[in-house]
Amino acid sequence: MPENPYLNVLLTAAFTVVFIIASSYALGFAARFIARLRGKSSKYQENTFAGYFFAAPWIAGFLIFVVVPLAFSLYWSFTDYRVTVKEPASWVGFENYRTLLFEDDSFRSSIINTLYLTVIGLPLQMAFALFLAVMLNQKMRGERVFRMAFYLPVILGFNTAVLLCWRLMLNTGTGIINQIIRAVTVAFPPFGYLNRGLIFIQEITTAFFLGLNTGKYSLMMKVLEAGFPAENRVPLWVQSPLWSKMSVILLMVWGCGAMMLIFLAGLNNIPRELHEAAEVDGASGWQRFWKISFPLLTPYIFYNLVVGMISSLQIFEPIFVLYRDNQPLVSSTISMVYYLWQKSFSHFEIGYGSAISWVILVIILIVTVIQFKLQDRWVTYDVY
Amino acid sequence: MKKYLPMLKSILLYLLLTSATVLMSFPLFWMISSSLKTLEETNSPGIVWIPDQPTLEAYLNIFKNEAFLRSYFNSVFYVTLALAGTLISIAAVSYAFSRIDWPGRNVVFFLMLSTMMIPPQALIVPQYVFFNKLNWIGTFNPLIIPGYFAGGAAMIFLLRQAMSQIPKELDESAFVDGASHIQIWWEVILPLVKAPLATVATFLFVGLWNSLLTPLMYLQTIDLYTLPVYVSTLYNINQTVQQWPTIMTAAVLTTVPLIIVFFFAQRFILESVVVSGLKG
Repeated sequence: MPENPYLNVLLTAAFTVVFIIASSYALGFAARFIARLRGKSSKYQENTFAGYFFAAPWIAGFLIFVVVPLAFSLYWSFTDYRVTVKEPASWVGFENYRTLLFEDDSFRSSIINTLYLTVIGLPLQMAFALFLAVMLNQKMRGERVFRMAFYLPVILGFNTAVLLCWRLMLNTGTGIINQIIRAVTVAFPPFGYLNRGLIFIQEITTAFFLGLNTGKYSLMMKVLEAGFPAENRVPLWVQSPLWSKMSVILLMVWGCGAMMLIFLAGLNNIPRELHEAAEVDGASGWQRFWKISFPLLTPYIFYNLVVGMISSLQIFEPIFVLYRDNQPLVSSTISMVYYLWQKSFSHFEIGYGSAISWVILVIILIVTVIQFKLQDRWVTYDVY
Repeated sequence: MKKYLPMLKSILLYLLLTSATVLMSFPLFWMISSSLKTLEETNSPGIVWIPDQPTLEAYLNIFKNEAFLRSYFNSVFYVTLALAGTLISIAAVSYAFSRIDWPGRNVVFFLMLSTMMIPPQALIVPQYVFFNKLNWIGTFNPLIIPGYFAGGAAMIFLLRQAMSQIPKELDESAFVDGASHIQIWWEVILPLVKAPLATVATFLFVGLWNSLLTPLMYLQTIDLYTLPVYVSTLYNINQTVQQWPTIMTAAVLTTVPLIIVFFFAQRFILESVVVSGLKG
């Protein structure tokens, strides 16, 4: 292989293309051969060849990059394999899983932090997305521009550069968000009370979750003792363990455009006649939303919930960019995937890392299956 | 009074929509504004909405910064190479799933859909070891090659939905004229799904351009860093004063390609996401 990294990858890519084409032909011929042995018509043989020929890239990729890695990681999760150690890995049985589930405080923190983002962040994100979609659905002029503006954060979303801009805006002392909060609370005192109230609620909730983490509720007691926040209090965003997760949630809510599009499609699919009929019967806008739109939107809510939950269980970039190296905050923010990354690639504990990824996989599967099981209770499909 | 109610309602609605727009695009505005400030202004305790005397100093400096330019080139290079291969292979696989009737199609299609449930992070550890065995650590290969095997079940699904809607008669008549499957795929079907292809290309581009975890794992020397990895090194937690104008300048330059692509592709995205995203 040549030393030049660009030439190197170009050659590898060319080789890969040749490999894929070769495996396409190989798979196609093999499939056609089997079809011929079974005495099928020539049209059938032709289709068999073409089907496997065109699907071969995915089939080969599935075997190489999914099936084999999953099998290996399952095996390694029962060993003490480390990349840095030359000696062969030895079988340790369920040791990794036992340590992970019952002794590893960091992993427990990461689960509870991820749970916090899912339980508190996801509903906020979905509510805001629905709110935006309902506003856009009024069919005003310039809807397109607004829709673009609301969707843009999804594109920019988790880019490091944009996350760093958030880091700048969330600075406790000089960040623009707190500057605006300060200016507004001075100008309108009622807003000041709202601000302090929200700070109070937020801090108690987070302190409770942090208590779940450590099993000690001293921080929550401290928040309660301190009582209602002082007049000049501002959120501490990326500075305090009480606020670190709220900053991530803020980012999630900002990036709700994809969910908004789905809701918008759902609202578009509701027949106009339903609303018109209800209006004739004298139903108010509020009633029509809750009695007509909302039940018909439940399939879309379900879709967003499943997809949103899978992605919030996999959150990584915001935490990496905002809190990497920030020792005092790490335990209050690490997500499951961040912890997986840390173990596997900072400490090179492959065996342990594999166990973590299997636990994450199982958690996501369980959550998804539960959602599909529960959907009959609240999702309405049989309307049209 | 009744007459004015609809007008009042629409004024209120516009107010809400406009304020939401301001909120949603504020980070972008702030990024640009901060990139034009001096270091003192970015760290000042007062609000500087727009700098009094915008300075292009940070821009001039960053264009002299070799590491930044190199990472920019790396990003463009790797994204182009990965995008081309991934797009073509996804187009081929979608053709197999939509236009050809072959034994085993439904089983393979179901398998493909079920891979969407597997979080990519569950695979990164064994893949890392696999690429380590191939001596691919410290090269661009692990970032590019997996995509060539039609990576991305959701994208295949999106394109397959679009291809299924084309009438069957079209390729049948081409068959009668003696065209091969490869010809039909390239000359008949692909030109008919340009909009969904553009959507898939946009999503792939955004995903690759923003990707942080994979480049971070595999690129270990600064001269191979892609933009997100390089930009993340600009922010150093151990420094008390961050070079915000520099960081924000890098940020603006990183987001420019995203915004350009989005501007041209938004029409396709907004339609096809909604149509095919839901039928799963």
